[in-house]
Parts: sequence; C-alpha cells; structure tokens
Amino acid sequence: CSDDFLEVPATGQLAEAQLTTLAGLEASLIAVYSQVNGRGNRLASPSNWVWGSIRGGEANKGTDPGDFSTINPIQRFEVNAASGDVGAKWNGAYEGIARANNVLRLMTKKAADVTDADEKRISAQAKFLRAHYYFELKRDYGNTPYVDETVDYGSGLEEVSNTQDLYPFIEADLQYAVENLPATQTQVGRVNSWAAKAYLAKVYMYQNKFSQAKALYDDIIANGVTSNGLKYDLVPYYDDMFRGANDNHQESVWAYQAAANTGSVNNANPEFDLNFPYNGGPGGCCGFYQPSFSFVNSFRTDANGLPYIDGSYNDPGKSVKTDMGLQSDAPFTPDAGNLDPRLDHTVGRRGIPYLDWQDHPGAAWIRNQPNGGPYTPKKYVYQVAEKGSYQDNSSWTPGYTGINFMIIRFADVLLMAAEAEIEAGSLEKAREYVNRVRTRAKNSELKRGDGTAAANYNVGLYTAAWTDAATAKKAVRLERMLELGMEGHRFYDLIRWNTVQEELDKYLAYDGAILVAALGGAKFTDKHRLVPIPQDQIDLVGSDILIQNPGF
Amino acid sequence: QKTVTGTVLDEYDVGLPGVSVLVKGTTTGTATDIDGKFSLNVPNDQAVLVFSFIGYSAVEQVVGNRSIIDVKLSPDETTLTELVVTGYTIDSRRETTGAIATVDPKDLTVIPTGNVEQALQGRVSGVTVITNGQPGTTSIIRVRGFGSFGGNEPLYVVDGVPVQSTDFLNPDDIASTTVLKDAAAASIYGARASNGVIIYTTKRGRKGNQKLRVDYNGMFGVTTPGEGLAMMNPQDFATYTWLAETNQARIDNRAPKYEHPQFGTGNTPVLPYYINVGGAAGVAGPFSAAQLEEERAKYNVDRSKGGVYQVVRAATGEGTDWYKELTRNAPLNRHSIGLNGGSETSRFFIGLGYQDQAGIMKNNNFKRISLRANSEFDVTKKFRIGENFQATYRQVLGQTGGNGGRGVSADENDILQAFRMPSIIPVYDEFGGYAGTAARGFNNPRNPIANRDGLENNRNFNANIFGNVYAEYDILEDLTFRTSIGGQYNNYYYWNYSRLQYENSENNSSFGYSEGAGFNFQWVFTNTVSYKKTFGKHAFDVILGQEALNNGSGRNIDASGQNPFSTDTDFVTISNLPVSSRQVNSGLFRGVNFASYFGRVNYTFNDKYLFSAVVRRDGSSVFGENSRYGVFPAFSAAWRMSSEPFLQSATWIDELKVRGGWGQMGNSNPVPSTNQFSLFGGNVGASSYDVGGTNSSAQIGFRRTTIGNPNTQWETAVTKNIGFDGTFFNGRLDVIFDLWQKDTKDLLFQLPIPQTAGSNATPPFVNIGQMKNAGVDLLVAVKGNLSSAFTYDLTVTGSTLKNEIVALAPGLNIITSINPSYRGIQPIRNQVGQSLSAFFGYKVEGLFRNAEDVANHATQDGAAPGRFKYEDINGDGEITPDDRTFIGSPVPDFTGGVNFTVGYKGLDLSMYLYTSIGNEIWNQSRWFTDFYQTFEGAAISERLKDAWTPENLDAEIPVVEKTANFSTSNVGNSFYVEDGSYLRLQNVTLGYTLPANLLERWRLERVRVFASANNLFTITGYSGLDPAVGGNADTTFGIDVGNYPVTSGYTFGLNLSF
Repeated sequence: CSDDFLEVPATGQLAEAQLTTLAGLEASLIAVYSQVNGRGNRLASPSNWVWGSIRGGEANKGTDPGDFSTINPIQRFEVNAASGDVGAKWNGAYEGIARANNVLRLMTKKAADVTDADEKRISAQAKFLRAHYYFELKRDYGNTPYVDETVDYGSGLEEVSNTQDLYPFIEADLQYAVENLPATQTQVGRVNSWAAKAYLAKVYMYQNKFSQAKALYDDIIANGVTSNGLKYDLVPYYDDMFRGANDNHQESVWAYQAAANTGSVNNANPEFDLNFPYNGGPGGCCGFYQPSFSFVNSFRTDANGLPYIDGSYNDPGKSVKTDMGLQSDAPFTPDAGNLDPRLDHTVGRRGIPYLDWQDHPGAAWIRNQPNGGPYTPKKYVYQVAEKGSYQDNSSWTPGYTGINFMIIRFADVLLMAAEAEIEAGSLEKAREYVNRVRTRAKNSELKRGDGTAAANYNVGLYTAAWTDAATAKKAVRLERMLELGMEGHRFYDLIRWNTVQEELDKYLAYDGAILVAALGGAKFTDKHRLVPIPQDQIDLVGSDILIQNPGF
Repeated sequence: QKTVTGTVLDEYDVGLPGVSVLVKGTTTGTATDIDGKFSLNVPNDQAVLVFSFIGYSAVEQVVGNRSIIDVKLSPDETTLTELVVTGYTIDSRRETTGAIATVDPKDLTVIPTGNVEQALQGRVSGVTVITNGQPGTTSIIRVRGFGSFGGNEPLYVVDGVPVQSTDFLNPDDIASTTVLKDAAAASIYGARASNGVIIYTTKRGRKGNQKLRVDYNGMFGVTTPGEGLAMMNPQDFATYTWLAETNQARIDNRAPKYEHPQFGTGNTPVLPYYINVGGAAGVAGPFSAAQLEEERAKYNVDRSKGGVYQVVRAATGEGTDWYKELTRNAPLNRHSIGLNGGSETSRFFIGLGYQDQAGIMKNNNFKRISLRANSEFDVTKKFRIGENFQATYRQVLGQTGGNGGRGVSADENDILQAFRMPSIIPVYDEFGGYAGTAARGFNNPRNPIANRDGLENNRNFNANIFGNVYAEYDILEDLTFRTSIGGQYNNYYYWNYSRLQYENSENNSSFGYSEGAGFNFQWVFTNTVSYKKTFGKHAFDVILGQEALNNGSGRNIDASGQNPFSTDTDFVTISNLPVSSRQVNSGLFRGVNFASYFGRVNYTFNDKYLFSAVVRRDGSSVFGENSRYGVFPAFSAAWRMSSEPFLQSATWIDELKVRGGWGQMGNSNPVPSTNQFSLFGGNVGASSYDVGGTNSSAQIGFRRTTIGNPNTQWETAVTKNIGFDGTFFNGRLDVIFDLWQKDTKDLLFQLPIPQTAGSNATPPFVNIGQMKNAGVDLLVAVKGNLSSAFTYDLTVTGSTLKNEIVALAPGLNIITSINPSYRGIQPIRNQVGQSLSAFFGYKVEGLFRNAEDVANHATQDGAAPGRFKYEDINGDGEITPDDRTFIGSPVPDFTGGVNFTVGYKGLDLSMYLYTSIGNEIWNQSRWFTDFYQTFEGAAISERLKDAWTPENLDAEIPVVEKTANFSTSNVGNSFYVEDGSYLRLQNVTLGYTLPANLLERWRLERVRVFASANNLFTITGYSGLDPAVGGNADTTFGIDVGNYPVTSGYTFGLNLSF
C-alpha cells in the first residue's frame, strides 16, 4: 500500500487555513457573540437569574425542592467546590473566551483580503466580548486564569495561575473596543463604541473608580447612541422594553439578540425555559425563579409615592398582602396600598393581569407554594400576542422566547451614573438621574382592559434636594433594585456596596421564616461573596496553580 | 490376512473423506476417499480397526468375520479435539497455544434474543456480557475486562470480514463461534485485537454427491413482563402526603398546614371523586348522567381547537398499576430454513431467517429477515473459489437508550415513568382521552401509555448486504494462496412523529416530525499464503498475509420540523412542514483506512512441544504521519505432557497440554478519525447568532470543535497467560484453565484539559495512563452416559475479574470529565487504584436517630433526625466533599454459567444458569421513588412505609419530608448502592426427538419438538426491577434509572430435517 492510502482528510468541518480570510474571521466572530447567552447552560448566561437575582434575594429557586436541586445550596449559601453547577458560569464564559481568542489567533494569520480596518473592527468586537466574559468570571469567582490568544493547548494553558488581577486585562480590552469600534453598526447585533464605554464605566464602578466612571457617564448620557443610531433614552412605558417587537430600542445599550424559530432554541433565551408559571399561562413550565416576599414588599411606596429607603418595607403594615396558603378557589383581594407599578411589570401576583394572558390565578399557576411562595416571574415572559413569532415551539416546552435580553440598559447606566455623581459630591445630579428613572416608572401604570389601574399605584419623584450622601446612596441603591429587579444585578450590587451581609441577613430572616423548608436556617457567610473555584478544574491543574477562594 | 472394505458416514449419513482407519497397535492404516470408502488389509479376525477423524469421536470395531465394515461417526463434542476457526486459519484445538474459547452453535439458538452476541452470556469464560431485556438491544461485550475508558468493544469478524456489529446475523446460520482472548491467539489481528476477537463463521454445506438437506427451526412464544415495583395506592399516597407535612412541620418547628389541590386542607386527606374537571382539582362526584352529558359537550383534548377540557375520575382501591398497564405479554416467533447440499466439486448453504419479537412495552418491536447464500466451488483440484453473502432487513421500533438500546437503563424512560405516575391517576379520562398530571398536584411525570401510543406510526429500518468472495490456489501441495475481498453496505431510513401532548402538567407545544436516512460502506481486502508441512518430528505451520481495509464511509441526512397543516400521516412529509420550522442536517464521513502485514509460525516438535510466534504491523489513517504504524508481536508455547512417556501409564489422562504466552495487541477504537486535526465547525445550536436583530433567524458562526494531536499512537495491551487444556477419563471430563493478566498502557484517553481552552473544543485522544485486568478463566465439562439410553452433559464456566486503573496522567489521580450526572447526582469517579467507573459518594452510616445523635455527629449541612448520617471519613468533625469515598463497583468479581443437559432415549432436558457476583448497582430510580420531596406529588414507593419516624428510629428509609438538601436527596451516597449479584435460570428446555422408525416412515431425518422457559427465576437481593443493568458506555454501566428488565418467557419450537 502506498502512504497515500493512510492519508484520509477530515470531512464536514473546516481547517484553520479556511478561516483566516475576511469571511472566515467574520464567521468566527459570530460564534463569539453566540456564546454570550450560555447556549443552553442555564447558569452561564449574563441574565444571572441564579447568581445575581436569586443570590441577591430578589427571588428564590421556586418550583419543587427536588427539581434542579443543585440550585438549592446556591440559594442557601451552602455550596462547596464540588457542588453541582458551581462550574456552570466558568465553563460558559471560558468557551466564550476561547472563541474570542480563536478570532484573535486567526487574525495573526490573516489572509491578504483582510484590511487593517477590518482587523480593528473585528478585533475590537472580539476584545469587547472577551472583556465581558472575563468580567462575568471576575464577579463570580474572583480572579481566574487569564488566557489570551497567545496561550493554548500545548503552549502552557495548564500552567496559567489565577493569581493575576483580571481587571487590568478587562479594562485594556474594553479600552481597545472604545477606541476602535464605530459609533453605529450596520448590523444592530454588533456592539458599538458607546456600549464599550458603558461597559468600561461599569467595570470602573466595580473597582470604585468613580471619577473615571463619571467622565465616561457624562459623555454617554449626553451623546450615546445605540448600534442602530438611536439616541440613548428611556423607553416611555416600562413593559415596552420587554416586548420582542421593540427590541433594539433607545434603552438597549447592549442586548443579546434572541431569536425564535431559528432551528435551535439555543437562540431563544434557553436559560429562561424553566422560568414560567406552572400548569397554565405562558410556558406552562416549570415554576422556577419565584420573586421573594422581601423583593415584592420593596415596591411599597409611601403617601408621596416614595419607597422605604430605610428598608422598613417588610414591617407589618407595609408588607404587601399575599395569597400565600390560599388555593385558587379561595377568595382573595389583592393589596390595596400604595405600590410602584414596576412591581406589576416584574412580578406575577394573584389578581393582577399577567401580561395579556389573564389575571394571575395564584396557586393554580404555582408549582409548590410552600416551597417557592405565591409569585411568578414576569419580565422576559412572552405575551399571547407574541406566541409563535417571538416564541419558539420546537422544543420540549414552549418557554423559549425571541425577546432580546438587555445586558446593559440605559436605566442601569443612569443609576450607576447617579452613584458616581454621589461619590463626586454632585448629589443633585444624582437626584436628577434617579428622578428620570422614576418619571418613567410613574408613567408605567399597569392598566386593565377597561383602562383602570390594576392596583393602587403611587410613584412620586424625589422633590426635596439631596443633601446627605448616605441618604442619597440608599435612595439610589433601592432604586436599582426596583428598576432592575430580576435582571441579574442585585447580588453583585450588594457586594459592590459592601452591604451584602446585612441585606441578605434581612432577606433570609424574613423569607426564611415563611419558606421554612427551602430557606429556613440559611445564612450568608463571608466566603460566599465568591463562588468556589470548581474542584474539577483544580484537580486537573493542581491546587498550586489554581488557588481556591478563601474559606472553600 | 484379509481385505476389509467399507464406508465411513458422518452424522448425516454422508460419506466422510479423509478418515484415518488404523489397525490398532500397528502402523497399518489408510484413509477414506472422497466418498468415505476405504479398503484395508488386516492381519486377522481379532484385529481392531480404529476410525478417527478430527472433530469426530473415534470408533473402534473388531473385524470378526466381516469383510464389509460400515461405520458412522458422530461429531465429537469434546471441546479439546474440535476444530477452531481463527479467522485466517482453521486449527485443531490440540495444536493451539493461545487462550481460545468456542461456543456450541446450538447454544446460540436456544434463547430467542435478537442480537446473537447476547447468547454468549455465561457461555464463555472470560467474556462479560451486560445486556437488558429490550428486544434488539446491543449488549456490552467485554473480553477479559475493561482495557480502557472507552472503545472496549471486541473485534468481530464474520466470515473473515471485520464488522462493527453482529446484529445482522441470524443465529441459525452460524456454524462456529470462537473467542480469541489473549495476545497469543489474537495478535494476528494486531492493532484491533486488544479487546479480544470474536469470530463467527456461517454454515457452508458439504461436498459429495448427496441429496439436498433441509433444516427447519422454528419457535414461537411469549415474553411476560413480570411484576413492577410496589408503589403506594391512592389512600396511602394521600396519607403519606399528609405525613410529609407533619414531619416537615416538626423539622421546621411550626404547626403543620395540610393542603393539597386534590386532598383538601383538613387534618386527614380526603380522596376526591374527580381529580380533573376542566382544570379544577379535587371535585366531588359522581356527576349525574345529565351533568356528564354537559361535561361531554365541553370536552376537548385537541389543543389546536382551543383549551383542553377533561373529566378525570380518580382511580380507587389499589389504583392504577402503571407498570401493568404499560406492559404486555409480548409474542415472539422465529423461523429459519437452511438448505444444505453439494456435489463432488461444490457445496452450498442457503439460509432464510425470520424473527419477529415484541418487547414488553407497546410499540417496541424487533424484526429481522435475513437471506444467506454461501457457496464454494472446486474449479480444479488446486483452485477453489467461494463466496459468503447475506442480505438483512432489520427493524427495531420504539427502542429507547443510546448506543443501540444499551443506554436504556440510564434513561428517564417510560418504565421509570410507570413508577413516577401516582396510582390515583387513571390511564384514561372519562371520555377516552389520556389522563395525566394535568390533574393538579401530581407534579410532572408523563403518562407513559400516551408516550408509547404516540410511537405507533414511527418506523425505521436497516437494510444491509454483507459478504465476501474468495479464491484459494494450492501452489504446492502444502502451500496455499488465498485472496478475499469483502465488505458490508448498510442503509437506514427512519421517520418519527411526536404527538401534541395535552394530558401532562408539562406539555410540549407542537406536533413534530422528523425523517432521515444514511448509508455506509466498509470493505476489506485480504491475501494470505499458508504453508503446512511435517518433516519427521518437525511440523511447521506458517501463514503470511497482507490486509487493507476501510472501516466505513458514508453520508447521512435528517430533517425535522413542526406543525404540518394536517397531522394525517398520509400527508405529513418534510415538504409539507412549514418552511420556517424545517431543519435539515447532513453529514459525511470517510472512515479509517488500515494497511497491515502479518505472519505467524507454528512449530511443533515430536507432537509434544509447540511454539508459536505471531507478528502484525498495522498502519492506520487515524494517526498522524509520525506515529502511524504499530508492530504487535506475540509468542507462546505449549507442552503436550500427555505425549510424554512418563504419563503413558496414567491412563485416565487422555490429553494434557500446558500453555503459556505473552504478547502485545493494539487498540485505536476510541479515537475518532479526525483526532490528528484541529477543526472548526458551525452549528445552529452551538454557534449561531441573530446578529442582524431579526428575531427569527440566526447566522451560523464557526468555533473550534476539535483540538488535534498528530502524535497520538496506538494503545497497547500486553497479555500474559498460562493455562492448561486437559481431557480425562476417556473424554468424560474436559478442563480448560487460564490464569491471565492484561496490562493496557498508553491508554487512548481524552485527557481532560482545563475549561480555559473552551468547552466546545473536543480535546484530542492522547496516550496516557495504564489499566490492569487480571483473572482466572475456567471451563469444566463432564459428560457421559449411565446407560446407552441415558446421557448427561454438564458444563461449568467461570471467570474472575479484577480491574484496576493503575495510572492516569502525571499529577492526575482522578478524572471527573467523563462523569455522568443524574438530577445533580454524580455516581461515579475514575481514580487510580480503583476499578473503572467505581461508585463514589458519601457513606451513609445510618439515619440520625434523634436530635442528640445530630448534635454528637460531625457537622453536616442540613442534618436532622431521620436524615442521612454520613461517615466522617477524614475525622475532621465536618462532613465535606473530602468525606466522599468509594462505595462500590459495577465490575463483577465473578461471572459464570452452568449448562446441564440430560438425555433419555428421545427426550432431552437442558438447563442453563448464569451468575454475576460481586458487582454493585447504583439504583438511581430510588431518587424518584424513595423520596417524597423529589418532585412532590409524583408516585412514591411502598418502601416509605418503613421510613424513619420518631417511633421507628432504626429505619433505613429516610424521613418522609419536603426538604431537598445535602442530608436528604441532593447528593450521591451509599443509599443508592445495592449488591447487584444474581443467579438466573436463563433457560430450561425439554425436547423430544421422534424415534427413527417413525422418521423413516415419514422420510424425515430428524424431528424434535421442544418447550422452553427463559429467565424462569432470578435470585438476587437487588430491589430494582432487574439486576442485569447495562449501560451506555464503559463509564456509565450499572446505573439503574429506568432499566428495561430481562423477564420470563416461554417458547415452543420444532426442529425438522429432511
């Protein structure tokens, strides 16, 4: 036999040389965007419904105690390095990083048809996305091994330790993106320079680099536009942000472009497929991600329409009336007190219209009320009118949507800018930003079909001048929860503000007394500021290279 | 001195050529001619003639006053004198030096299995067969242990053609089955031999002018489903729902609050009359006839026509036995016709086979139709040509489990659903639709009967042709050249429908359809020269060969979509699916090319000392240029002690041979053909993005899918074997004994790389680690007759196995990258010093008896009375992941079989037992059935009646409660591990062969009728459905999530020859 006989090429796939062309690089870049939502790994998405919102006390796992039970120790702060799913974010983010590195590595061998402008445009997007993935890792695990396009299998990958601070690398990548991305893009799904600035500002905020952040925010708020050229602004009616037809609106600084009926539900927010009411309504499954009592109570407003920034909203007389313990056939009248209407765009609760489906029936849509409480999630849930168009029926459950998930939206930018302003001493500027957000809330009353308000909404603006930084901080911080609730920010904000212990103590004491079996006795301890480095990764490279987080 | 003539006939009364006829005690002798005739001068009437022929029992005849002596030889079924087909050659067992086992062809036909390899269970020592009860399922066959982390399938060779699977074979067509176990025997297959070689040959007919012989073998019968697991009836289920609340309230230190959508809110649960009336739960009844008519008017189970409205009456009394409802007595029948004949210069065999076997679940069926046509012609005295051909149609419907049904035990399949559906739910609603968990309060099991019915119109089939053509030319009298070219072409087609569900709490949202097809083709071209010559006391047997093959190239395409305009199966095609829902995928593959040279020299001195040397050099396209070739030598020797003078006086020894061998074999099975390349791919599910913001489409991007390694080499197994073959007491006792060790090094293993490289890129297989397997193989056969009418035959096979991971990569002691996870529980760990895929987790010391017990124990998350108490292995006063330990192994220590046959005149009775000892099972199904809190509302086991309560402190079943945490249902622990040892009576057959006088009158050669019972009993301590728990792969076997049990069956049959 000749040696040719033993040369059998690989089929149906591509080799490196075929991807160094402009088309090849562009297609490789698509894969980096693709990974942002975690591709079916429900705990790897920037929606951070478990890591950000559940750990932040906005919601609990809900559903049944035995279902997806690897989340139980996460919400109870009992995970260890070997617990299931502690590596979910790690795996998802590093796949994204590997894809970004792949683009940058291919770029070093670029073909003749790739111009310098192409290189900058493509590399800047890849670096933006790489920064995003590392930021996600940094927030959850602390420092993790920094691997870029120069390190790979066979060239020292296993030797990279996690002793270096990731933030300088993240900032460098974002800075490159700020400098090399265009202000608008022909394809709306691509990030622009304004998104890079907003992201960089956010990264500064996480490091308490307030003045650098403020400088960026001033520019962004004054001049920022979306990739499709819309000047940054708030969507006038709160719920309109979450409707598929409005995707890429003026508030969408950076969103994951979700799409239904593409041939794979991995493009249709697969991380949310369990997070719908049970036994009826949209999705029909599986009763996860149930908003907490404390979170619902925080939407209580006083006679001036202002929230209880002293945190007293859980007190008797202020807490929101619930149907806990009631079957759906038992009579129930919803709370009649003052509420922020954002509650009813964020939380499904009995007696209130659930999008355009019907009035929420309470227990009939709850899988296991004693375990998860009486509430259901509402943001990013599809309407009846969106069935089949912004919703995908090709998988085991209908709970897949083509509604973009906003990773950074303009209200988030405004509220972070408010924080930066407070740190700079410009409390009134902060108040202006907060009031801008509250004005939209005021204009977002949920109406029934007959035009009446679904509940007793009362939202007021902060009319008195802010003179005390501590009070201003409290106002901004609570506003963030009300505005961005169930969007995956809360736990990270609590860490950033260093209020995590007191806030979670309060939440676990209150909710744990009601949902005793699920949350009773749970306690946040300091080591749980970080997720443990996954044990299987330490086992692979050694505990001298991959240093475990303190306490694990 | 006088001349004696005669004819020697075989068992079919056909003249047998080449039979040695010897005057006893002399060297005078001759051999029979082509017609079996002989003529010999004998010294006197007292002379004794000895007729002997390989494979037949020797016959002695005193000449007396006869001048014509006709004898009939019958096949000698003593194992040690048989011929052994080793693929490239046919040898006498007497001359072999390696570890070789054979299986009597009729053993393959007694049990009505769909796949012939299942019949090897317990028949061959050293071969582990792990299978399940699903018809047409592929079994895990392992020869001498588990050499690697994957790709441990033996090499199958059928009529000289290597194949990946033998599922196309009809057991009635098989003439011989040989298992080559050690390197001495198998190294001639070189790089593909390290997991052993199983060689089948098919029937070929006989030469000689003879009449056509027709054999018909038929059987029909039934497989019974047996009993399911004991689940709670509706009343007990409600009572325990309340108990869970009582217990939970005590643990939470609060007052109990009883509530359930169906059972009310009182202090005692109330069973409802209706569990679902238009979505309402717990409705009293019964309705009057008029009310029912009103309800009927509202009834709707077609979701495309609006909201579902059902009326479901609660099952009463013992409730629904879902296992019983799901299963059936499954009919089977098998028919084979063999036509057998030949002329002076030709022979042929034509076999027609049909098997139709139903599974114990609905719409689960296996069917095979096969046609075999083998023939051989002598073109001249020196030149022969021949062919083997088979065409097979094979259909396996409703099979679950990956890898040809192997993975069924690890699936949450319909059998598991039967033990998750509460007994209070009936199968059907009041108006004929399916009932299910749409009735509130029962969580999310799905009605398994609806699932099975939904498979009704699904179809698939394989059609394949297989065979080879060969030519042999005798260049010299002792030198033969043989060339053979063969292959297999396989084609499959399938179409599936998925119904729009309405009866469950969690329903899908569309009617789905998928369709696909593919083909593959593999070929092999083999040329050998063999030379066999004896010079005085020196006997040589030499074979040299060259082989080239491709293990399969082909293409496939599949398409799917949802919601056609009409769901009429006559209408639904891919073209008739909405364009937006259609998905089409296809693939192409070229397989792996092998180029090989091999040779073997056997030398025998004085018929006493046997030496054998084998070497094979293989080149494979799967490896890169630098490491493409491997050389695999083996050496063995044997000493036929029984030929030594000092044993001549030991007349009880007929034959005694001591053997020993060493050799190397290779393996590249686990390695995909792309291993040497770094590759990139696009995939809508893995790497697409709606970059244009369309909300309805996604552009496909490319990411790295494979990291290549051009330096990967063969995995090598070194075997050492010593053993002996003995025949004693005039052939009444045969013993074959082997002591062996197999060390596999340079394991082909996908060494996990850090996730920092990206999880989508498959790491390459590299050569790392070592595995050790060792054991003893024993076969003891006793046979004889108490009188001429009464015969007996007892064969016992037994093998021990010790499997150990000796080394992984430097600095790496455990691998977790291949661990499966079931609902967050990871049952196994591969670690140096342990067996493959050993069970790993916390060791349950018992249950916490009371608060004091909790207080005195090491700190443990979620500890409470009645929950698991884990052993503090490292004694640090805290239960952490470091306290996990090894709690069992799925690898059996001992497997064996007993085959016992007695014959009395025309009657024959045989029994066949199989045992597997020392293996554990991870009974993951208990996660669903033995915990109330794992999907509250789904069915629970009767075992919960023995659960811990303050009054039952010594219980083994944890407290019935509603918390899922570290100390209850959330982590893998020894609660799930059970002893999987069992002894099973696999088959009892009673047969009756009609006497010769009747047959002559009817001009028949043979008529036998028989009745069999399969799997009549199983002795085991295992609490699941069946201790025979297979698995998808070497790293996931012995895990029982929803095992498809091997159950009892009864067959009747007829063997007819004329």
